[in-house]
Amino acid sequence: MKIRAITLDNVRRFTEATGVEEIADGLNVLCEPNEHGKSTLFDALQALFFKPHGSRDKEVASLRPHAGGAPEVSVEVETEEGRFTLAKRWFQKPFATVHRGGALVAQSDEAEAWIGRLLGGDAGGPSGLIWVRQGMTDLTAGTKKEQDAALEARRDLMTSVGAEVEAMTGGRRMDAALARCREELAIYATSTRRPKANGPWKEAQDRVEELTARHDTLAATAQELHEALAERKRARRDLRDLEAPEAAEARRARLDAARKAHAAAERHAEELEAEARKVEMARLTADGARSRLDSFRDTLTERADAARRVAEGEVASNVARDRLETQRAVRDEADRAHQAAETALKEAERNRNLALRAKAARDGADRRKELADRIEQAEKARSAMEKAAAARTGPDAETLRRIEALAAAHATAVATRDATATQVIARYVEGREGAIRDGETPLPGGRPVPLPRATRLTIEGVGELEVRPGEAGHDDRSVEAAAGKLRKALDDIGAEDLEAARGAAVARAEAARRHGEASAVLASLAPDGIDALREALAAIPESEAEADAPDPEEAEATLGRARAAHDAARLARETAIERLSDLRDAASGAEATLASLRDRLQRAEGVLARSGDLSEDELATEAGQAAAAYDKARATHAEKARTAPDLAGAQAALTRAESVERQARDEIARLKPLLARLDERIARSSGEAVEERLAETGQELMAARAALARIEHEVAVLTRLETALGTARNEARERYFEPIARELKPLLHLLWPDADLTWGEESLLPDKLVRNGQHEPIDILSGGTQEQIALLVRLAFARMLAASGRVAPVILDDALVFTDDDRIERMFDALHRQAGDLQIIVLTCRQRAFRELGGQALRLKPVTVPAAG
Amino acid sequence: MSVRFIHASDLHIGRKFANIPQPQDGNIRGRLMEARHGAIGRLAATARARAAAHVLLAGDSFDTATPSPVVIRQALAAMGEARDVTWWLLPGNHDNLREAEPLWEEIARDAPGNVVALTDAEPREMGGSAVLLPCPVAFRSGASDPTEPLVTMASGEGMLRIGLAHGGVTDFTDSGASIAPDRDRSAGLDYLALGDWHGRMAVSDRVHYSGTPEQDRFKHGRRGACLCVAIDGPGALPQVEEVETGIFLWSETELPLHPRQDAAAALDAILPGAGRRDVLLRVAATGWAGLPDQVDLHSAAERHAPEFAHFELVTEGLGTHYEAADLDEIDRGGALRLAANALVTEAEAATLSEAERQVAADALARLYAYVREAAK
Repeated sequence: MKIRAITLDNVRRFTEATGVEEIADGLNVLCEPNEHGKSTLFDALQALFFKPHGSRDKEVASLRPHAGGAPEVSVEVETEEGRFTLAKRWFQKPFATVHRGGALVAQSDEAEAWIGRLLGGDAGGPSGLIWVRQGMTDLTAGTKKEQDAALEARRDLMTSVGAEVEAMTGGRRMDAALARCREELAIYATSTRRPKANGPWKEAQDRVEELTARHDTLAATAQELHEALAERKRARRDLRDLEAPEAAEARRARLDAARKAHAAAERHAEELEAEARKVEMARLTADGARSRLDSFRDTLTERADAARRVAEGEVASNVARDRLETQRAVRDEADRAHQAAETALKEAERNRNLALRAKAARDGADRRKELADRIEQAEKARSAMEKAAAARTGPDAETLRRIEALAAAHATAVATRDATATQVIARYVEGREGAIRDGETPLPGGRPVPLPRATRLTIEGVGELEVRPGEAGHDDRSVEAAAGKLRKALDDIGAEDLEAARGAAVARAEAARRHGEASAVLASLAPDGIDALREALAAIPESEAEADAPDPEEAEATLGRARAAHDAARLARETAIERLSDLRDAASGAEATLASLRDRLQRAEGVLARSGDLSEDELATEAGQAAAAYDKARATHAEKARTAPDLAGAQAALTRAESVERQARDEIARLKPLLARLDERIARSSGEAVEERLAETGQELMAARAALARIEHEVAVLTRLETALGTARNEARERYFEPIARELKPLLHLLWPDADLTWGEESLLPDKLVRNGQHEPIDILSGGTQEQIALLVRLAFARMLAASGRVAPVILDDALVFTDDDRIERMFDALHRQAGDLQIIVLTCRQRAFRELGGQALRLKPVTVPAAG
Repeated sequence: MSVRFIHASDLHIGRKFANIPQPQDGNIRGRLMEARHGAIGRLAATARARAAAHVLLAGDSFDTATPSPVVIRQALAAMGEARDVTWWLLPGNHDNLREAEPLWEEIARDAPGNVVALTDAEPREMGGSAVLLPCPVAFRSGASDPTEPLVTMASGEGMLRIGLAHGGVTDFTDSGASIAPDRDRSAGLDYLALGDWHGRMAVSDRVHYSGTPEQDRFKHGRRGACLCVAIDGPGALPQVEEVETGIFLWSETELPLHPRQDAAAALDAILPGAGRRDVLLRVAATGWAGLPDQVDLHSAAERHAPEFAHFELVTEGLGTHYEAADLDEIDRGGALRLAANALVTEAEAATLSEAERQVAADALARLYAYVREAAK
């Protein structure tokens, strides 16, 4: 069914016939601002399809205009059978009609029935239209009745494509079976399928464990008992063997025999030892005799030899003594010759010295004179020098220069004073020169005379003229000072005036010159001083007046000869002394040799004397006898040794016999307490009935294992059943929702590429959105998401309907209130995708947002031709 | 020149039966133990009734090598009370000479005068004209025929030679330790009394296993017995009489089932009508049964079990026959049926192990039980 046109008359604000026409296949959009009648259109459509024309309920009543009247709605639909016009009016003259091409097909109740069939098809139920109202975010929104109707519709639809949900998922019976299964399983296991504490499974496990442990312990104890029994058996057998009388007797006999054999062997060994000592004694005796004989013979030989050598030594000694004497005489002679030569030499030396002194004395007389002259001159020079030095008084050049400077300064001071002082110039008339006097001093004429102070000039013949200089004039203190200084300098050198000073300076320079000359003379005569000259003079011997002084050359020759003679004599003497010494050594050596030889002889004779009266023959006999005794003793010992029993063997046999006996004793001592211990242990273990308890535990363990196996099997069975039931239910559910899920999936993926929905068995609606493995209940999602899902689900159901051959229009009344513009684009894609084989009518006030939707634009406008009444 | 004696073996006094499950307030283990001890008195009574002066116990008189003092003393006391009977006790493998040395020492030391411990392989005069030739077991498991010494064991001229030994005649373990079945001929025996086999078995005219006087296992299917043996003289064939002495009957019964059979009724049919208190019964169901029949069988077993000394239903050998109707009873479709189908497939899958198949089959049976339970 597809809607082609809708006409309203007397419906709320539409008091004139108003309608929408040319509703196309696919997407149709009626975009009007609010309060322009969209919702009215929507409600009117619902009323037409779902409200019987006889209804007067409040929903129908709400359709009436304020002014009142009978609301009338007609819809033109196209079905497989053709195009029909459905019309209804309520309240006054209510009717319901179905027309086809103007011809009445049905009216009143028949028309209602016709409409019912149109909506529900043969499956029954009002599923022909899929409504989505403004802001209907909730999938199950609406009145209870609406909800039930929608659920019924979904159920019908699902059942028509699949089976009853109850039948599919097993419903309550499945729940009961699962609950029963889990209940039984919970007795044994935890939710993780581990044995539950205090549960039968855990108890059975614990019991098996406990019994296993007990069984192991008992088995170990039993094993110990068996071992103890075996050990006791061995110990008893060993003890019996050891303590058997015949065994003990055998051991004892063996020990006795070994002891006897050992004692005999020891005795024999002692005898052999005694024989050995005898042999040793005999050997010593024989050796002693032999050596006595030998030494006697040696001594005889020694004495003879020593005697002969003593004789020879005496001869040699005498010869040496003679030679010594001879040489001593030779030496004495050489001594005397030497002494003579020495005397001669001394005489020659004295003569030569004498000669030399005489010559020197002669040579010294000239030099003395010369030296004495020089000394005299030098004395003179020194005396001159001293005189000059004494004359060297008066100012030296420096002092003189200073005095001259002082004199110049004085003159300057006088000139200066005179220049400022009152001057008088006397010009004498001829002949009266000197008539004016200053005191006694005539005043010179023709030249100015300064008068530094008041001066009374006596003018001869006239009187006195007192000249007084001005008060503020000069003073002559500087002149006095300069004069003072000059005076003092002159006084220092004892000069009267400057001239005297100059003369003194010249005298001083003269004296200095003379001193220098004398000094140079002295230096040339006595460079080292006069004393040195005097010493040199003293060194020159004064001539000895010896007339018989020999000639020096002759004396020298004599001396040379005397010295050669002396040297020869000395050499001869030394040679003689050496020779004498050699001979003395030889003589004493001969003496010493002789003395030692005499000792030897004396010793040999002493030895012989000590041997007393024994003769060589007697000694030889004695040695022979001793040797024979030795041989005999040796033979005896060898015989004894040959017949000796094996002592080491006897010792070993004895040791063994003793150790056997000792071991037997030790073993008996060990076995007895061991047996007692074993007896005790066995008595205890067997008293505890260990085998009996072991057997019992073994049986209990087997039973416990069987019980555990039964429980494990039970758990396995229950687990398997639970898995089978769970798997089957999930599988059934998936199979049930598979058709709608298949339709929904591509739509859903337009918005959320990897999302999925799970379905509630009761509501037959999605209950959870699965994104990235997260299960989110639908009712906690955002409003936008909820309304998007609601819309998509309806589109999917619509598509399912279409697929089952019942095309139904989807009417969306401002269905996307909460959806943002981005999502809306994708929702538009979804709508277009679905619109291909569906009819979708979108009512919206969001003009701007829905401009992009596209599709057929619808307009509400007045219609002229009302539907056939 | 004739002799008459009781031949018994394997009393296993002191056996605890800890492997028999005992209900919280039950005492089956105690009763079983008591019955073993009581066998002594019943043997003595049998001997008295048959005018036999000797009871030959061919080994394993005690269950373990070291029984508790209570067990030993009470057993010896019970034997001592039967003064007119001489008890000849041979060490068997359970009470062998090596491990049970203290036990035999204690018997030799403390036993009453009419109890003889045969701890040496030496001929013993039984009084009259018979010589007893014992072959005590030295080790728990030997490696030779314990009756070998009988060949060379001497007895007086004209005396009856009665061998007493413990061990198997069939060499199960290939250890060479089995008793030669013709030992009576090779050792010139008039009679060879054997123990170890808990069931009665006549090996030949002169070689017999008496079996235990009180059974302790499901193997033999009849009550325990002893033999009363009478020999008229050397060379004469022994006259052997079986005398039942057992109190408890250990019975293992097969219950063959087939589909669509009333399994509960089939079980009822094989159960004994009387004396159930002294019967230990193991019913091994075999063949095939549908799911409802199995449920019925189990509930019938639960109903009957308390009447018996011990009751066990073994269903390992019972296959489950899956019928569409039974599966329909679980559900005709939907998830429950899906689960049931998966379990059926698994229970019949040849690629899975027996254990896994069993788990699947039992899981299915359980599901069936749940559904039935819920439907009530």
